[in-house]
Amino acid sequence: MNSAVLRNIRLYFMQAWFSYRALYAWNTPFTYFVSKFGFSFFAMLLFVFMGKYVGLGNPVYIVIGNILLIPSMNSMSGVSLAVADEKRFGALSYLIGSPAGRAPVFLGRALFPVLDGFITAAVALPVALLIFQLDLSKTNLWLLLGCVLLISFTTSGVGFILGSISLVNRDGWMITSSIAVGLYILVGVNFPVAVLPPFLRVISYGLPMTRGILAARMALAGASWAAVSQLVFGEIIVGLIYAAAGYALFRLIERRCLISGALDNL
Amino acid sequence: MIGRFFRLVVRQMNVQLQIRIFNQYTILLFFLQPLVFSTVGMILARAAGNQTPDLVYTVIGGGIMGMWSGLVFTSTYDIARDRRDGMLELIVGSPTPLARVEAIRTFANVLAGLVSLAAAFLAAVLIFKYSLAGANIPAALLSLLLILFGMWCIGIFLANFLVWSRLGGTMVEFVELPVAVLCGFMYPLRVLPVWMQAISAVLPISWALQALDESLSGGRDLALLGPQWGLAFGISLVFWALSLWLDGKVHDRVRITGELNSI
Repeated sequence: MNSAVLRNIRLYFMQAWFSYRALYAWNTPFTYFVSKFGFSFFAMLLFVFMGKYVGLGNPVYIVIGNILLIPSMNSMSGVSLAVADEKRFGALSYLIGSPAGRAPVFLGRALFPVLDGFITAAVALPVALLIFQLDLSKTNLWLLLGCVLLISFTTSGVGFILGSISLVNRDGWMITSSIAVGLYILVGVNFPVAVLPPFLRVISYGLPMTRGILAARMALAGASWAAVSQLVFGEIIVGLIYAAAGYALFRLIERRCLISGALDNL
Repeated sequence: MIGRFFRLVVRQMNVQLQIRIFNQYTILLFFLQPLVFSTVGMILARAAGNQTPDLVYTVIGGGIMGMWSGLVFTSTYDIARDRRDGMLELIVGSPTPLARVEAIRTFANVLAGLVSLAAAFLAAVLIFKYSLAGANIPAALLSLLLILFGMWCIGIFLANFLVWSRLGGTMVEFVELPVAVLCGFMYPLRVLPVWMQAISAVLPISWALQALDESLSGGRDLALLGPQWGLAFGISLVFWALSLWLDGKVHDRVRITGELNSI
């Protein structure tokens, strides 16, 4: 019993480490850095100037929102790619043919993109706050860091779903990218969710990140645990639902491919 | 000779447009991403208390952004795909110069990008009741032509530049949104800090965009439009000349060293 548990834990971390190395193996530190910050940073600048043009005096809301989106993007895209690349590199057949437990193999793909996203945001946030000279005296730092870590974890569920879709769809990366771009509207990055039309608000609260980003903003402004706990629990529940859905979808696709033996032809 | 050239153009464009049509990423670049940026612009305008957004920048600017994103991605990833699929050696080894192949491809990509602008313009007219009454249409069309020419020149410059390197995908991150920020696709250039305005002056699209904005606002002052057109055209030619120089370098290097595959 104990050895089975230990074997699964070892498998989880091995899978996590190897899938992460495979994801970034071809990157130099330069390309790694650019892929982490490039699009996010320049999109933030674009939105800041768009806000300035329409008359929004203070860009801090946009800056913080875009930085809080970095771990989400990282986690979602990283996990999605880590799953989808199994097929792209021809490793999926071996993975599915192996007797290894599916849960550690599948869930292990999230660990390092999540940590990577968390560290990226944890580095970017203080730098941006220094540049924009935001008052941090009231910030609930540990709660803020907790919220950033939480956002990274909960968005990995979306990554699992998108990665699984990529296994059966050759344009899976297009779907991932489209959803990633849509987050600029949906999760309260550039403006509060409250200003969205009602039907978009429903979608927004059905996504992970929305509550987490709101909780992080509140922690930044000095809110206590009691004030954000409801948002945090809501974020955890939504994230778990997405992760469970992603896992179920992966198992469904796996079963389908075992029956048809045609996964690599899809 | 001329007939052969036009046959090459037609065949290249046919292949290129088919690739664009069947690649679903095109939908993201030409339609979804501009739609998202335009929507953010509109919601920000409303949040700032503006009842109606500036349609030229918020909606039509989104279309120009779609054109640009499509061009940058195709100019960079086409080369990366050729390299990955082992086509680049065949193209470089064929009697048709690489520069000509890239020029035709980029031309097809710029034309395909017009779909994004057309969609944005239709959205502005049909949904937001944007009116061209009062606009200086001939000047706007000339400005648009200069935008297309500027994009084509930058596109072939990038395509030639990236034959040298495997960093095509990374270059997208350095070119797509930074140029959108610097050229003011979604806002007038006066919003930028002065030092950024100075950088944007070396990009031909920024001058042509200023002329387009001026023309759509009804501007008819040639003393203002003329220099903007002249600078847009002149700087585009500089990019074109640079791409010719690069093409020679690229060809010399890969043929002498035979190292195209190891770059």
